[in-house]
Amino acid sequence: MSMIRIPEADVTGWQCKTCGEPLVRKPVELKYLDSLFNVELPVCPACNMVLIPESLAMGKMRQVEQLLEDK
Amino acid sequence: MTKTPRSVCPVCLRPVPASHETVGDDTYLIKECPDHGAFRTVVWRGEPGFGQWARPKIPSPPRTPRTRADRGCPLDCGLCEAHRQHTCTAVLEVTWRCDLGCPVCFASSGTGAPADPSPEAVGHLLDHVIRASGLCNIQLSGGEPTVRQDLPHLIRLAKAKGFPFVQLNTNGLRIGSEQGYAARLAKAGLDSAFLQFDGTEDAAHVSLRGRPLLDAKLKAIAALSEAGIGVVLVPTVVPGVNDHDLGAILRLAADHSPGIRGVHFQPVSYFGRYPAAPGDSQRITLPELMRLLESQTGGAVAAHDFMPPGCEHSHCSFHANYLVTEDRELSKLSAGAPCDCTPRAAEDGACKAKAFVKRQWAQPEKSLPMAGDAPDDLDAFIARASRHTLAVSAMAFQDAWTLDLERLKGCCIHVVAPDGRLVPFCAYNLTAMNGETLYRGKS
Repeated sequence: MSMIRIPEADVTGWQCKTCGEPLVRKPVELKYLDSLFNVELPVCPACNMVLIPESLAMGKMRQVEQLLEDK
Repeated sequence: MTKTPRSVCPVCLRPVPASHETVGDDTYLIKECPDHGAFRTVVWRGEPGFGQWARPKIPSPPRTPRTRADRGCPLDCGLCEAHRQHTCTAVLEVTWRCDLGCPVCFASSGTGAPADPSPEAVGHLLDHVIRASGLCNIQLSGGEPTVRQDLPHLIRLAKAKGFPFVQLNTNGLRIGSEQGYAARLAKAGLDSAFLQFDGTEDAAHVSLRGRPLLDAKLKAIAALSEAGIGVVLVPTVVPGVNDHDLGAILRLAADHSPGIRGVHFQPVSYFGRYPAAPGDSQRITLPELMRLLESQTGGAVAAHDFMPPGCEHSHCSFHANYLVTEDRELSKLSAGAPCDCTPRAAEDGACKAKAFVKRQWAQPEKSLPMAGDAPDDLDAFIARASRHTLAVSAMAFQDAWTLDLERLKGCCIHVVAPDGRLVPFCAYNLTAMNGETLYRGKS
């Protein structure tokens, strides 16, 4: 399983507000339009809520979105 | 049929009422001239249906119209105040000379051509474009622009004025045969070549251009790719000539990815002098192309992949984008996106199309930002798709038989006339059956 590299500062200290659990890295499937990407992301072990750090959303995910989107 | 003109008479070019009639799966444009009788021409065959191929737009009139809508479409072009779409691409004809004498030619180029416009005149025309349409995409066309010795200077001129994307419409003969020429064009700032390419077999070239040209075209593709100029293959599709070769053209394009950036099919349209109306069997329509692409690629390309355009009128084109995999297979990008049929401002579509063309039809940067030591799925996708994306599209030009003024009003491809007027492509090239033009050669 490949892993998205996230600056440590983005991950350490995060915990799920609902469950109070510290986030752990887990395999996640990202689906956009018809494309599927397997990545590891911080996830709440209790409720499976996934954290997508801002740097990822504004960085690689945005790039992928632009490549997939139509004119 | 309302009394409002919606087409022209193919004999006298008088604006006449017209309507669409669908019989079975096929749609016809029917019209009647009081002097020259009734005309009925196929414009759409089969699925996806004529009615469902729609992407509505809220009209965006020119910011600074050059002409008033006095006489009615298509007699007021300039652009006139009633036009509904901004300029995506301004086509500038820099010569009317040509080193091929094709039986099929929009521009009626060849012998007896008028003198080329001077670099100063080209500069003034570019200034007209900036005033009317801003810094849109520029296509240098002709004739065959590479017959001009100062073509690199003209490219530099356009880039120096700030046009972000300059494309050359070419037959590729000089580019493929003259060592170092493509590199000179690239150095001048050329982004992309719109390369006339009628098929993977010489028979199509002989039929449409009068001589075998496949080898010359392949050399041009190699030279352009090496020089860093994006290549778009532009086949003119003629029934019985090359409509069996569409899948093979896509395979050739995929094999030459990322040098080849796109394939842009153009169903044949009839400009020039025609003693008799072309028969419906001499026409091929957009949905037929979609279905042929599906059947000739074994389904790698599917008819339902294609989307109507966000820029020009829906019935003018289709497009889809594909990732070229390591195995040179085509994998659809952005499949599954439902068409957002909420009417959008036409100019938003023009802006998106301009940006897309600039990004996709030019060659990508050689070095890309890659992730560090452990690239993930997103990195791999970004690295591949940033370079190895193939755009597949088609545009149906309109002639005197098929002209729909609703489509013409939404046109985003504007020819820059020698006096600086911007004229929608199909109006500029329109000819009556006797060859008489509406705009070309008229001041």
